[in-house]
Order: sequence, then C-alpha cells, then structure tokens
Amino acid sequence: MMFSTRLRLLALVPAVFAAASCGLQKDIDVELPVGPAQIVVECYLEDGVIPRLTVTETAPYLSTTEEISLPDVAVVLTLPNGTRDTLQYAPGQDRRTRKIYTHISKRRLSARPGDTFQLDITDKQGRHLTGTATMPTAIPIQAVEWEFNDKPEDQRQAYLITRFQDPANTADFYRFQIHKSRINTDPESDYSVDDRLTNGQLVTLGTSYRFNPQDTLIVTLYHLDQPYYQFMQSADDARDANGNPFAQPSAVKSTVQGGVGVFTVLNYQRKTLILK
Amino acid sequence: MRLRFLPLVLFIGSLLVGAPLAGWAQVRFTLSGYIRAADSKEVLPGATVAAPALGLGATTDSTGFYSVALPAGTQNLVVSFIGYQTLTRTITLTKNQRLSFSLPASTNELGEVVVQGSATLEQKLRAPQMSVEHLTATEAKLLPALFGEVDILKTLQLKPGVQNGGEGTSGLFVRGGSADQNLFLLDDAVVYNPSHLFGLFSVFNSDAVQSVDLYKGGFPAQFGGRLSSVVDVRTREGNPEKIGVSGGIGLISSRLTVEGPIKKGKGSFLVSGRRTYFDVFTRQINKLNDSDPDYNPIPDYYFYDFNLKANYKLGDRDQVFLTGYLGRDIFGFNSTNGFNFDFSWGNTVGALRWNHVFSPKFFVNTTVSTTGYKYQIGNKLDQFGFGISSDIKDQAIRTDFDYLLNDHHTFKFGATVTNHQFGVGRLNANSGDGTLNINSDVAYTGQEAAVYASDNFRVNKDLQLDYGLRLTGFQSGSDHYGGIEPRLAARYSLTDKTSLKLSYAQMYQYVHLVTNSGATLPTDIWYPSRLNVKPQRSQQVATGVSFLLGKGKFLLTDEVYYKWASNQVDFRDGAQLFANSDLDAEFLFGKGWSYGNEIYLEKKEGRTTGWIGYTLAWTKRKFPPQRGTTGINNGATFYPTYDRRHNLTVVVLHQLSTRFNLTSSFVFSSGNPTTLPQSRFIYQDTYGSDYSVVPIYPERNSYRLASYHRLDLGIVYKFRPRHGERDLTLSIYNAYNHRNPYFVYFDQIKDEETNLITGYRARQVSLFPVIPALTYNFKF
Repeated sequence: MMFSTRLRLLALVPAVFAAASCGLQKDIDVELPVGPAQIVVECYLEDGVIPRLTVTETAPYLSTTEEISLPDVAVVLTLPNGTRDTLQYAPGQDRRTRKIYTHISKRRLSARPGDTFQLDITDKQGRHLTGTATMPTAIPIQAVEWEFNDKPEDQRQAYLITRFQDPANTADFYRFQIHKSRINTDPESDYSVDDRLTNGQLVTLGTSYRFNPQDTLIVTLYHLDQPYYQFMQSADDARDANGNPFAQPSAVKSTVQGGVGVFTVLNYQRKTLILK
Repeated sequence: MRLRFLPLVLFIGSLLVGAPLAGWAQVRFTLSGYIRAADSKEVLPGATVAAPALGLGATTDSTGFYSVALPAGTQNLVVSFIGYQTLTRTITLTKNQRLSFSLPASTNELGEVVVQGSATLEQKLRAPQMSVEHLTATEAKLLPALFGEVDILKTLQLKPGVQNGGEGTSGLFVRGGSADQNLFLLDDAVVYNPSHLFGLFSVFNSDAVQSVDLYKGGFPAQFGGRLSSVVDVRTREGNPEKIGVSGGIGLISSRLTVEGPIKKGKGSFLVSGRRTYFDVFTRQINKLNDSDPDYNPIPDYYFYDFNLKANYKLGDRDQVFLTGYLGRDIFGFNSTNGFNFDFSWGNTVGALRWNHVFSPKFFVNTTVSTTGYKYQIGNKLDQFGFGISSDIKDQAIRTDFDYLLNDHHTFKFGATVTNHQFGVGRLNANSGDGTLNINSDVAYTGQEAAVYASDNFRVNKDLQLDYGLRLTGFQSGSDHYGGIEPRLAARYSLTDKTSLKLSYAQMYQYVHLVTNSGATLPTDIWYPSRLNVKPQRSQQVATGVSFLLGKGKFLLTDEVYYKWASNQVDFRDGAQLFANSDLDAEFLFGKGWSYGNEIYLEKKEGRTTGWIGYTLAWTKRKFPPQRGTTGINNGATFYPTYDRRHNLTVVVLHQLSTRFNLTSSFVFSSGNPTTLPQSRFIYQDTYGSDYSVVPIYPERNSYRLASYHRLDLGIVYKFRPRHGERDLTLSIYNAYNHRNPYFVYFDQIKDEETNLITGYRARQVSLFPVIPALTYNFKF
C-alpha cells in the first residue's frame, strides 16, 4: 500500500513544487517528547570474514548531538559451538565495505548454513541487548544475461536479467544488488523481494536499459532470513513516512531485543561480468 | 440477549396500539400530488406541504410526490422548499384530492430576491428526524469553491459534525467515523469511490445534482450498510417542458448539460458531462520541449464524468426513472528512458427505478441497480510489463413501500438484496522473452440482504416518534453474519418554537476498505466480511434541542451525541495489502468512541442567509495486542488523524442586489493529530549503500499540527442576456492567504561544502495559498 501513497505523492509533485516556490514551506518549532536513549547495533556476519559491528545509541531527532560510539559496552558473540568471543572496542573503517565499525573480533568467522549465532551487549547503565541469527542457505544464481538495444553505437545500452530457482517448501526473502566496478560504491540497482507470488518458481529479476558497453558489473543475490528482510522493509517504511503525508508511520522491526538494529548472517552469491 | 428483541416487540405492540387511534380521528381525506419547480418543471424531492394550524404536514419523496391526511373542511396550506418562494394556499377538502404545486425560484434576476425559508425551518423543528443536513445544488453553487469547482461534498464539510480529510479534499469524516463508513447513494445506487484527483474533487457534478441529504445519526430504517453516515444524492430529472442547454467554463474544467422533454407530459431527460483540461496544456508544454533530451515530460492527467437521467410516465400510476453515471480519472506517464505508466480509475453506476402508486396513500419504488468501481495500473519498463487492478461490482434490487395509514401513522417497509463481487487484487508481470510470467488473482463474492419496517407515529401534536427495525445478513462463501438494527427518533415539542429530540441507531457494515493511509486513495480495496474479518458495528445515541428564533427566521439547534463502535479495522505495520491471498491475516480489530456537541444556528430567510456551526468533539481508537502483534500504539488509546477538538464554520450568503450575490465561508478547526519521530539512529547498511537517518516513531498521532483557519469569498454577477441566463462567479479561496499546515517533516541541515549533516529542523508544508478563480456559467 506504500505504493498507492507514493502514487498520490507523485500526483501532488506539482503542488509540492508550487509549495516550495510560493513560500509554502517554513521552519517551525516542535517540542518532541524525550525518551531514554536505546542501544543501536548493526552487525552482518560473513563466513571467512572477521566479525565487526557498530554500537551507537539513538538520539533525540532534532538534537544536534552527533551519533557517538559507546566504548563502555561489553560485546560478546557466541558461536554455534558455544564459544564466546568478546569483541574489542577498536573503531575503524572496513576497507571492503567502507562502513564504520566500533567493535571487532580477533578471529575470522567460520559459518555454515543453519549455524546459529548469538549476540549479547551490555553497558554500565544496565541496558542489555540480545540477538540471535541463523545463516540462510545459499541460492545459486542460475544465469545472468544482458542484451543491448538497437540504438546507434553512442546510445547503446543493455538491460540485465538474473535468474535463480526459488525453493518450494519455504518462505524465502532476497536482496538483489548490482554494483558498477566496485562493491563499496552505491549500487546501481538495489531491491528486496519475497517469494509470495513466485514460490518454487524460476525467478527472473531485471533492470531497464541502463548499462553501457564495457561496464563491469557485480551482481549479488542475498538470501535473507525473514527478520532481516522485515528490518530492511520497516526501516524503509519509517524513512518514507517522514515527508509523506499519506504514509502511516511504521515502527522499525529490529532483529534484536532490548535495543534497535540488526544482527544477521549474510549468505550471498556474487558474479562479476563485463558487458561486451 | 432477550433485550435485543425488545424493540421488535415494542414495534409490533405499537402497531396494535396505534391502529385504534385511527378510529379517534375525525373525518379525514388524503391530499396528494407533486411539487415541482415552476421554471424547469422538475420535481422537488424534500419539499414540504404543511398545515401549520394543525401541526400536520408531509415531505415529498425522491419522486417529488407527497401525501398527507387532513381533516375535512377548509385548510390553509404552506408549500415550501429551500431556494424557492413559499406558497400559501387555502383549500376545501371534501374528498381525497390530487393537488400539485409549482414553486417559483427565489433567486432570479427579475424579482426581489428573498429566500423564503421559515416554513422549512419550522418543518425541520417539527420533524422527529435529527442529525440530518439537506443541501441543494443551488445553495452549493453560490458558495466560493477551490479552483471555482463547485463541490457539494465540500459544502457538506461546512456543516457541524463533519470533518474533511485534509486541505482541499472532499472526503467526509462524520462524527468520528472514518472515510469508508459513509454510504454514498446516487439515486439509490451505491457509489464506492466518491472522489476524483486523489480526493480533491467529488464525483458529483453540481449541474446534474438536485440535492443531497446527509444523515449523521438517527438513521431511518431504510438505510444501512455503513456505520457513520448516509449521503443520499438525488439527481435532476431534466426540464419536461422544453429543451435547455446549460454549462460553465472554469479554471480547470468545463461542463455542459442538455435537458428536455422526451415526450411532453410523459417524461424528460438530462445528460450532463464535464472534463478537466490540465492535459491539454501539459501536452503542449511537452511538445514544445520534445527536442530537449534532458526534459522530463509532465504526466498526463484528466478526469471526466457523464450523468444521465431520464424519466417516463407509463400511465397515471406508473413512472420509471433511469440513472446512469460514468466517471474516469486517467493518469499517464511516458518517459524517454523506456518507462511507461498508465493508471485509470472510476465508477460506473446504473439504476432503473419503477414508481407505482397503488393509491394516494400507498405507493412503492422498486430499483434495480448495478454499480462498480475499478482501478488498473499498467507499467512497462523496456522488456518488462507489470499490471495490477482491483474492482468491486454490485448488482442490487431494492423495493421500498410507503403507506399512509392515517394522520397518526405512516409506514415504510421494504427489502434489499445485493450481490457483491470483490476483485480484491489481480496482478500480472511478464518479460518480453517469456521467462517471467506471474499471474495472481484474489477474488471473492458476497451476498448482502436486508428487510426493514418503520412507523412514523404522530402520537399527538407534541410527540412524534419514528421507530423501526432493520434486519441484515451477509454471506461470503461459507461464512454468514447477521444483525438486528433498531432505529428510533423522537420529537417532543415543549412549545410552538422549541423541540426536544432523541435518536438511537445501531448499524452494521459488512464490507471494509483496505487502506492504511488514513485517507481515501484510488488504490484502496473493498473487502468482504469473512471468517476472520467480522462486520463492523456501531451504536449511536443523540439528543438535542431546537429553538425557532426571530419570528421563525432562525433555527438554533444543539445536539449531543455519543457513538461507540466495535470491530473497527486497521492493519498491522508493514501489512502486505495487495495480491495477498491471506489478507485476512493482516487485519487488526479494535474499538472506537466518539462524542461531541454540535451547535448550529441557521437562517434561510431574507437577503442575508447562512449558518454558524460549532462542534466540540473527541474521537478515539484502541487496538489491543492481538494476532502476534502488540496491536496499534502498543495497545494504548490514540486519536485518529481526523480527530478535531474544535471546529467552527461561518457561512454567509448576501443578496446585494438583484444581480449581485456576495458569499463567504470561514473555517476554523483544531490541528490534526499526526505522528512525528521522537528519535533517530544512523543505519549504515551493507555493501556500498550510503548511510541514512532512520526515524523512530513514538505513540501514534501524539503531536497536533497548528490550528487551521481559512476565509473564502465569492461574488456572483448575473448578466441580463436577451435569452437564457448568464453569470460570472469569482471565487477567492483562502482570501487572506493563510499558511495552513498540510504536513510536517524533518529535514537534515547539511554543510554546503562538506555535505555533512550539521543539524536537523522541522518544516511545515502548506498546500494552497490564495487562489482566485473565475467561472462563466450559461443557460439557455
């Protein structure tokens, strides 16, 4: 239904432009209730990668407070075999993803589909965040194909389609990304789907004519667990509701308890290709 | 449980008690006939014939027919209708008599313009029915309107107890009810989506509309199927004497109406159409920029609608009426990068009514109707195609009997059966190479039926009751529901100029609008009651007092109401509302309460007419934890967006001269409740994606926007052409250019050089500044 509210917003675009041009927007003072800050965590585990995560806390929306890391929290990752790995506070930037992290492990992670991990974060204020995540199975990319249009050489562009087989007996959730040249830049295409209408079928995901000859594309298909999918959807909905008068504000569905955020294990298939 | 049948017992008992009263009466005869407009000869539903000295009277039905039992002898009659001159006539009744009246219009350029409304106000004072607003298209046309587009639903928003859904929208929220709880009837056929242009205009073309009755409570037994209001729209029948053409050219649309006799003395017809013309201009702009590769074309948008009305007399006792409506909104977008988008939606309505008069005391109206609402969206993105659609179609038959037993009892009884077809969602997606081919279709049927009976019981001169019972049932597949709906309205006259009134109504609603936006959108879906989706139910009590003041020129009414409702519908956060074969699982159910006080002062006589309405009201909803969720707002009570604590409307129509009318309306209301984020966090996401700020929302609708106030002004200038009529109407919307809040959002403040966020601010968006509009209307 967010789709319908966007339609209405689209129709009102001229009015909103008019609003902007006719001085129909103005700053106002708003008094918001102040609630206790909550711990925020973002942690994406991957097989063969050293676990890193970001721990911050929520801030009053209109405050000028910068998002700060929390050095005094204790972060413990429990592996499938019961081993407890305490992550150290050592803020930095992950070179692969260009993401900021606050805590890091000393050991590479070994994860297999079905493995379950636990996260436990406590601080001196008595806040306690917990989370559980199970690694999804891998869904192989069966085919990546592209086709150029018939336009003159300098206007030739290609569309890309990717196919994979959806398992029949489970509710499945996917994220599809296409990056150009590097994986740590903004993706050219990025969307999430479920298999409600395609259960057990050969699924085709595609793009419009938008890629140039000789483009290097990195296609990634994530198989997600449902809590992570719902977290992404709800975060999208919450963002969209700010500025959309027809959207119903949505609560963020965190995958963790006792705080806000996401703790999940990624499993994806990736293919790199050069359009020729 | 036994008490549920008490009203039925009382009803049957009163029939037994009431019958002997007929014997007490002196010799009486029935006076019946039609009331028409003198100029157009069209019938006037809702007009009154009264014998004030006796306190007796009757109102014309939808065919303009009245029937009243009066004592034998000489009687003074007053015949009146809003917008027409009042007639007084002395008659001598010696037998049952047929007598029709023609009322001259009260506003025309040739005579002194004096709106005679005192008889209407007196009739309103004496009627047991309360919480009802009657409005004619003539009145609505005099008032200033947004973009000059006369909209009868927006005029209803100026009445106490009625809220709008937002700046400029035509949605109605009546006594705390939501937008889907209004029953819109066009000549007895249901209209499912009464809006054009995402709610900015209603589908009711003022040139084709005769009048509208809005029932906010105390619902008569013949109405049912929605919880909060009945909007009973009656269309004009066309001039039975001569061919006429009328129309108007406005800022955004033009209208044309042709009417005339089918055969003189037998029947008449009316065809009316209108169309907007944004697209004519935007297409030209797009054409001029065709050669610019960076130009993004402006989407095409227009709407049109057609009304048809015809009536024909089959004999002295039989007449048939045909009503048709077709309306469509068309929205299209074709980009140069291969993205095409087509979106259309609209209603189709057809109704055929047969009126048969058994005798002046006993007549029946039988209507067969079909109605449908459909939207469809087609997308094409290069080799991919995507289409979604949804619709609802009804086929209905209803029959309504009116029987005037004597001057104490007037019975109404009837039945209705409707077959609903719900095309909840159809989806198809395909690729040019055939590798993608998805089809999904979720559809249901439902059958709804009702029987009703009511008695307008005039106990004595001071006390009048209108009580009845409606039995309803609904079936969808193997799921069945039923309801008993008692109705009561009572009036007690304390003095000749003071009445006390009381009403009670229970309502069931078996079809639900699937929306989570809080506003009515074209893509909203109608859904039947099923195993896990129970019917909505409401009960309302209202009481009030009315005073006739200033020698009958003013009517002051104060009504208090309390409404409570169960099985109110909402949806879980993130609900998948489209093409979902298990949509039942997405519903959440709660309770609702609304209560308030409406004060209404109206004047319908003299050069200056209008009304002042003030409403003090509360509306609340509660959805407790259920179905694996924490409910809505964690189960705590919240105010829906259309809760407004204070609402004041002042409407003044002044006849400056025979050619000039000045009109104005002023609206003040408390700000809408809205939800603003309380806190935020930074979300980095995985590979590559840029970080974003995600808001965290606290309690639902815990913040109120600033108060809303607006003054609209209008001037109507009537020309003096050789033939027909001409006028020029100037409307000034939001005359003092107040920046009313439409919504508030939070924005990031960024350093221009580094693009880093340096702070946050709240921004209020307003929609419409001062908007003047000129409309030229003609009739010949």
